[in-house]
Amino acid sequence: MNYIVLVKQVPDVSQITDNAFDPKTGNLIRTRLASVINELDAQGLAFARQMKILSGDTEGKVVALTMGPPMAAEVLRYSLSRFADTAVLLTDRALGGADTWATANPLAHAVRKIQDELFGGSDDYYIVSGMQSVDGDTAQVPAQMAEELDIPCVPYATDVEFKDGQLQFTRIITGGCQIVEPLHKPAIITVAKYEHTLYASFVQTRQANQMELIQWNADDVQATAVGVKGSKTRVIRVFPPEKTSRKCQHVESVEELAKIILESQGKDEQAEASEDGQAMGYVLPQNRQDAFDRHYEGTIKEVEDFKVLAAKLKELNIADPSGVDDAAKEKILADDAVTFHKKALEDMLEGLKQSTPEYSGEVWVMAEHAEDEVNSATFELLGKARELADSLSVHVGVVLAGYNVGPMTDGLIAGGADKVYLIDDPILKDFDPHTYRKVVSDVFEKYQPQIILYGATPQGRVLAPMVSYRVGCGLTADCTGLDIRDSSRKGQIAVLMQTRPALGGNVMATICTKDSSCQMATARPGVMKRMEPDSKRTGQVIECSVELSADELSLKIHRTEKAHGQVNFDADAIVSGGRGLQSREGFHQMVSELCGVLSDKLDISVEQGASRTAVEQGYTERVYQVGQTGTAVGPDLYIALGISGAIQHMIGVANSKTIVAINLDHHAPIFKQCDYYLIGNAEQVVPELAKAIRNAK
Amino acid sequence: MTNEYNKVSVLIVGAGPAGLSAAITLKTKSPELDIVVIDKATDPGNHNLSGAVLEPAALARLMDPVDPDWKESDDAKNVLVSTIDKDDVLFLLGKKFSFNIHFAISMAKKLGLGFGQMAHGGDYICSISKLTAWLAKTAASLGVEVLRGFAAEEILWDKNEHIATGVKLIDQGLDKEGNKEENYLAGETIEAKTILLAEGCDGLLAEKFIKQAGLQRQGEQLYSIGVKELFRVSDEQYKKFTESRVVHAMGYPIWTPVLGPGMFGGGIMYPMGDNHIAVGMIVGLDFKYHDFNPQDALTRFKEHKFVKQYIDGGAVTEAGAKMIPEGGFYAIPRCPETQTVGRSNVMILGDSAGLVNMCKIKGLHNAIDSGIAAANAINGNLDAPKGLARLYTKHLEEDGVMKDMESAKNFRQTVARFGNLIGMPLSVLGGLLPKFKIEPDYEVMTKASYKLKLDTKFDKDAFTAAAATEHREEEPCHLLIGDETICTQQCLGKFDAPCITFCPAGVYEDIQGTPKPANPSNCLHCKTCQRKCPYDNIRWTVPEPNGGPRYKTM
Repeated sequence: MNYIVLVKQVPDVSQITDNAFDPKTGNLIRTRLASVINELDAQGLAFARQMKILSGDTEGKVVALTMGPPMAAEVLRYSLSRFADTAVLLTDRALGGADTWATANPLAHAVRKIQDELFGGSDDYYIVSGMQSVDGDTAQVPAQMAEELDIPCVPYATDVEFKDGQLQFTRIITGGCQIVEPLHKPAIITVAKYEHTLYASFVQTRQANQMELIQWNADDVQATAVGVKGSKTRVIRVFPPEKTSRKCQHVESVEELAKIILESQGKDEQAEASEDGQAMGYVLPQNRQDAFDRHYEGTIKEVEDFKVLAAKLKELNIADPSGVDDAAKEKILADDAVTFHKKALEDMLEGLKQSTPEYSGEVWVMAEHAEDEVNSATFELLGKARELADSLSVHVGVVLAGYNVGPMTDGLIAGGADKVYLIDDPILKDFDPHTYRKVVSDVFEKYQPQIILYGATPQGRVLAPMVSYRVGCGLTADCTGLDIRDSSRKGQIAVLMQTRPALGGNVMATICTKDSSCQMATARPGVMKRMEPDSKRTGQVIECSVELSADELSLKIHRTEKAHGQVNFDADAIVSGGRGLQSREGFHQMVSELCGVLSDKLDISVEQGASRTAVEQGYTERVYQVGQTGTAVGPDLYIALGISGAIQHMIGVANSKTIVAINLDHHAPIFKQCDYYLIGNAEQVVPELAKAIRNAK
Repeated sequence: MTNEYNKVSVLIVGAGPAGLSAAITLKTKSPELDIVVIDKATDPGNHNLSGAVLEPAALARLMDPVDPDWKESDDAKNVLVSTIDKDDVLFLLGKKFSFNIHFAISMAKKLGLGFGQMAHGGDYICSISKLTAWLAKTAASLGVEVLRGFAAEEILWDKNEHIATGVKLIDQGLDKEGNKEENYLAGETIEAKTILLAEGCDGLLAEKFIKQAGLQRQGEQLYSIGVKELFRVSDEQYKKFTESRVVHAMGYPIWTPVLGPGMFGGGIMYPMGDNHIAVGMIVGLDFKYHDFNPQDALTRFKEHKFVKQYIDGGAVTEAGAKMIPEGGFYAIPRCPETQTVGRSNVMILGDSAGLVNMCKIKGLHNAIDSGIAAANAINGNLDAPKGLARLYTKHLEEDGVMKDMESAKNFRQTVARFGNLIGMPLSVLGGLLPKFKIEPDYEVMTKASYKLKLDTKFDKDAFTAAAATEHREEEPCHLLIGDETICTQQCLGKFDAPCITFCPAGVYEDIQGTPKPANPSNCLHCKTCQRKCPYDNIRWTVPEPNGGPRYKTM
């Protein structure tokens, strides 16, 4: 059996120093970051080695494959110095600027060529890849390659074992894990976590440095979609994320702190609601009072330019944008307030004439469910879909696929859906990317919605890329903002602006779909707001029949395990302990007590955490370590007990909405980096605080 | 086929200025020779920290043979920030006052006195991390194999034949208890015809080799610890400081006449280009205060009126710490029979050999020149490897390195013996003084307290974060405690475990009554603990490669 390991060169976002940001604009200067192999790809390489060892087949070839500029050869040498025996560099100017679509396509074609030329046509091989890259964070390329190659995809693998003559993979699913085996080969395995990355051997490093790499260009592999032209998304704007500033408010009494903790959840929603109030909903051109009102443009610069233009047109008494002749154009451009050029002006005037939305059809949400219940991410998407659909005057549809899922339709309608497209089939009992992507694609082809939203969950993040590739649409991953706006300079009205963090959250990007009949996005759970369910809402259930047979399954599911004893750092609240808790007993007592009372009282998920020192001192297990060297977390509420606030810890909790610190040391650095702090001995404060929370109304 | 790759003609341990200078010079002279440089850092320069002030002549001796137009290259311009035309030597008194005593230095220079060498006019100001990265790039472009991320553990020394056969790399992929993990990789053995030890100050292999091969030092090696922060300051501050000036400050906060404290060393301020000013504090490890942390002195220095005006409001963009070997001429390890710096086919270069001139407070020029000397020794003589250390030593002597070292041979010892007030003036006598017996740094420790200790704790976590240091959390602790009962029963009661205080990275902590290297992953590889533990009870071993700080402009 042979192996192809996909590796990618990425900027080293783990080593971002202050100097990497432009002090004036706050933008990340990418050239100031070193280039390294994507960490998950390094883990993928180690995973592939483990697969080879376990299967006992020592003969197999191991080919490292990357696409990138010539300097990406470095990651191939990394692979050669550890495990790979052959390296293929897919490099071509024409491949530059590609999105995931135009990356997956040439890579899949390169895989075909490797099969033909390096594996002698044998299809007995695995493709192993990191689940996602740190610069893109999309997890789309492997799934889209699987679609192009029409092969099974095992996403989010964390372990492998060899049983009954087959490799079986443990993969993460929402709320647990699953042991699966691909039913056909080749298959793509994407690795979500595998700790033991490989060390370079001196001998292999020297050998690797002298080895000739196989180099192919876009034509060599006969790729059909390459570069900017072959991409189905384009980046509208890149900007720095908002810096959250902490309140650093000193709280005197335990009662007051209890009140703050209890209110922390509700308060945030209010704060966000008011922000939403400021950010305007979209209004279609025909419904606008002022034909020149162009508040609805995609970028700030465009909004500004249109404002200037509208004022100028009014001044010149021009009511119809078609009536602007060359003389008028000269007049406009001569104005001091005008900072755009003639070409931009002509584009804008052209844009002002547009009033027909670029896309038509419904706004859809792909429902996700487990154990007879639709998950909360789906309802959050429904809330967003409702808002988008209302401003576009169209319906909200939900695709619900599964077996015996009929009873869930009422809840979806109550949650905001106008139509539920129901596909109920025994074959859909368990989620299999192959059957599900077929079902969704078929329903899509029949009803042609203009937007489909998926949850950015382990399921959504493999299904969405496969569907999007299958039906020929662009896809944006992990969105945190979704807005309808015009992009009239491109002659587009009412398109979906998809905003997402990239480069490990260090930059934000707004992205638009292009050359597609539908706009697709996955959205991070916990970001969008669900609607208040209304059981009086009415809607239509449309039963769709899709032809399915058991031959179409791609994975054999050996068993599914619910998570138990696993750390859930996605919890709503995290209570962390540090050295200040003094002992292992004290740590468990105090952290558990507070966790318990919070989850009872607020009805939220709560997890425990620990600082590195607490782990070093043996108060708790390393899996609970929060921070730069442990796990980075971003709960709604983060409570730090006896944690001094070393910078490594604070970086790891920076995404938390509210940070509360309790510490005896007046000078604890954490007091300068939290929202609320109370000076006191945790041993005393925690029981009092728990009591105050429990007794609160 | 693969067997051939573990054989090397010339193996250089340490990709710093000394090792890379040897590689560059040798490759230029013998392009056909296979030369491999290994380094434990991920990128060359990551583990290098200095001022740095560099004598142009040494760099010219290295680069002229490679490319006569090297000065015009973008790399050279990027690395060599500027040349010094203002060279302030200040004496600080208290928190506010400063006196420029450069006139005394220039007078001493005119009179040919030892400490007149401290004048730096005309020298380059540069970052040694950047310089090293440039030299590594140059070496690689010539065909030298610069292999990053390989850490050597020991030299394979044939006791009977008196010849080194190679080095062994460290085992990787062990867990905290030393069990093999799934990705375990046994340390490989590299066979080499000749080995150059250029690991920097207190080199792991160099110190082991000194014992293996029976080398001796005439006098104890003495050390200083340098802690340094890089500030990004405002346009006005940077302009005011100017880009062609260096400041060396003596006195406050580590030495005041009569009343104390009394420590050797001083503060530095160097411009680093792009609105950055490096501020550092160098303190001799023969300090006697059990609660002294060099970073406290750095903080006091930064708060001094003179310094503050240039950095107030600035942001720390990088930080780091490193030791400097200060024993000078008498502390160079030599073969007792032949006086060679190294033995047989093993040569010791640069800071590993202690080639720092304490009057100049510089060693970079000698690091480069020792590299050139080693290259000249090897060139054409690999067939007789046993004579290489002798040839190397001959080049050190004939090409000026030893002369430079001799001119400062008693300076540091005189100060250590007599203190600053008497020692400094006495050192004027320079070479006329006899050699003193000086105790090793670790033996100098008392219950006395540092008077200017800060009220608040220095934020060591922010310091290590700025150094971007990192190690795999699960690897075995690389800091070994000899006898733990000494820590608990003797040191803690008597000195309150100074390692907890002086370690600039906060590696050591009191864990339920026992001082322990609790945070080895914060280690900056400065090795101060190994040289200043009052009971000589700590050993620094090399952690897995690709760990440690990530200095870029240090």
